[in-house]
Amino acid sequence: MDLLPTEEQDEIINTVRSQLERNFDLHALAELDGANSVVDSALWKQCAELGWFGLGLPEALGGVGYTLAEEALLFAEIGTHAAPGPFLPTVLAARLAAMVGATELAAQILSGTQLVALAEPHGDTAAVAGATVSGTFRVTDFGGADLVLVLVGASAAIVAAADLVAEPLASLDRLVPTAIGTVSQIPALCYQDDASGLQLRATVLIAAELAGIATATAQQSTQYAKDREQFGTPIGSFQAVKHRCADMAVRADAANSLVRYSAIAVLDGLPDAAFHAHAARVVATNAAIENSQINVQNHGGIGFTYEHTAHRFVTRAQVRSRTVGDLRSHLGGLLEQPAAL
Amino acid sequence: MNLDLTAEELAFREEASTWLHENLPKEARPPEGQEMRAFDLAWQRTLFDGGWAGINWPTEYGGRGLTDIQQMIWYEEFAKANPPFTLNNSCTFVGNLHGGPTIIVNGNEEQRSTYLPQILKGEAVWCQGFSEPGSGSDLASLSTKAEIDGDELVVTGQKTWTSYAHVADVQELLVRTDPTAPKHKGITWVVCDMNSPGIEIREIRTMSHVTDFCEVFYDEVRIPMSNVVGGLHNGWRTAMSTLGFERGTAFMADQVELAATVERLIDEAKIRVGPDGKRPAIQDDELARRLSLARAEVAALRAMTITGISRNARTDTPGPEGSIVRLFHGELHQRVYQLALDIIGADALRLTEVDGEGVWTGPYLQSFAYTIGGGTSDIQRNIVGERVLGLPRA
Repeated sequence: MDLLPTEEQDEIINTVRSQLERNFDLHALAELDGANSVVDSALWKQCAELGWFGLGLPEALGGVGYTLAEEALLFAEIGTHAAPGPFLPTVLAARLAAMVGATELAAQILSGTQLVALAEPHGDTAAVAGATVSGTFRVTDFGGADLVLVLVGASAAIVAAADLVAEPLASLDRLVPTAIGTVSQIPALCYQDDASGLQLRATVLIAAELAGIATATAQQSTQYAKDREQFGTPIGSFQAVKHRCADMAVRADAANSLVRYSAIAVLDGLPDAAFHAHAARVVATNAAIENSQINVQNHGGIGFTYEHTAHRFVTRAQVRSRTVGDLRSHLGGLLEQPAAL
Repeated sequence: MNLDLTAEELAFREEASTWLHENLPKEARPPEGQEMRAFDLAWQRTLFDGGWAGINWPTEYGGRGLTDIQQMIWYEEFAKANPPFTLNNSCTFVGNLHGGPTIIVNGNEEQRSTYLPQILKGEAVWCQGFSEPGSGSDLASLSTKAEIDGDELVVTGQKTWTSYAHVADVQELLVRTDPTAPKHKGITWVVCDMNSPGIEIREIRTMSHVTDFCEVFYDEVRIPMSNVVGGLHNGWRTAMSTLGFERGTAFMADQVELAATVERLIDEAKIRVGPDGKRPAIQDDELARRLSLARAEVAALRAMTITGISRNARTDTPGPEGSIVRLFHGELHQRVYQLALDIIGADALRLTEVDGEGVWTGPYLQSFAYTIGGGTSDIQRNIVGERVLGLPRA
């Protein structure tokens, strides 16, 4: 039993980190604010070549052959850097296509040549009935997408983006383009009636991204508390600030530890896998929301500016905490589980 | 990253479970006095005879030399066995989890062979003489003085918040041996015989109506110099060597038990009428959400504990990160019992014992100790801020 990354996993983390630091700089990405697409296709293919989209997919299915544990570490880094882009629907759609035998489709997604948006129910009309998709959806990263991964309840389907008309709205997170679209009986390229396994993975991966946000904001505040001086001393020497930073570190540790635990519980198919996935999602959501908000406060005036990156984490936490369920639905899901002891 | 148990660990779990079901006392723990002491020591002796004392203590000092993971498995099996008392609510706590480990790390061979077997066999109760009326969070300012007189220390002063002093045989005592040195440098850690002439003990009743909290007065108490552990004037370092331990794995039993407590609370919420007077409490939206959050947070606590064990296994000594778990645990423990009072309805008005089956209000009152004892939450935040995050001191 061990919840720290192995040396090999640390290497994966370092590779991911250097790519994100080099090519996903939040100040540079700001020029895409409000755009309908935030994906640079060359950069997207680079991420594909690094194996990010099939990291947890078996080699026999065209993936890299690692597991959900490494995927969770990848998504934690994506959260830490507030990296925009449809990473989640890409990873999930590649898996769905590969599992149902749509090999060519899976290969196109894995290679980054086909971009995947994510559609989730908006209101209560959305439905995946066999190979047919209908209803009103909230679609993220729709601009420039070739495909759309549709998640409704326990069902999942991939449809052609061309079959969908979606109206962009002014998105809260300026780097997560969001649109609302209604479709009537469009055909799925592939689908799964019971995609609960995919849902469980999605729950862990979003929890990982949220845990990453909690980590990054805890670090940002701690660094600022060391650098910023007032009254002739670093503000981190004041207990009010120091204690807020300590609480942020506690929340980040809770979220990251439980995310890693849940990833392995799902990976190993343990009987309490769903229990831990919901629990991880709940703890990571609270950690990301609270840490990202307090991070603005810790920075004072500069934290309130558009120029500073603090607000990026605030809006990303709000959006991701509402992706594939929300705090309430996961609290409800957790309480329905049998005891884990 | 893995959750696998080795074949050895699985066998250990099986062995622990079987033994506990056969040997766990059925009767409740007497809450006070000599009866309580006798019960706690008898249980410690039973543990020793069964081979379950000092699970993660080194074998050369009578322990089993097993891993922290195995220690955690033991606590989990204990919690699962539906015991009539909680593990750390025992007057053997200080010996097993503080005095003993300090002697293991800092004691000489004679001290180890004298004290460690007594602790493991249930032959001695230890208590802790650290806090003073004027020295709480600022422990290093302590002023109980010890004058060196030949091969003896002569101690005069006062200690407080000393749990179980009234039933203890020995005390781990911090005294000021060099009043001229800077405050951290003039302190000595010494083993004090609680039956020495010049010691007076007064019981303090706590807000949870327990009387095993005490203050201890010393009037020229003579302690042999050979009882000094870790060197004269080196007591601060000696004490700190185990505070990391205390903030790391010493509270693992409480943490494991808290998960079982939350599950019991969920069971209660299914059978008790909720705030609307009609439906079960669990169908109340607010209570359901708080219960679910408690479930999520105890799961996080367990994962944090395993992360801590993983970290210790790599570095060999518990670091300041233990304060992160301690802080999270103390506050979570309180939230769970605050929630309990909202779930048990009118029973929230009935005072119970602090430990035993189906008790909630006693443990609620007792829960206030969890963010005070072993360093207040504010001190834990200072430690996390300064020693884990590297923020400057005030």
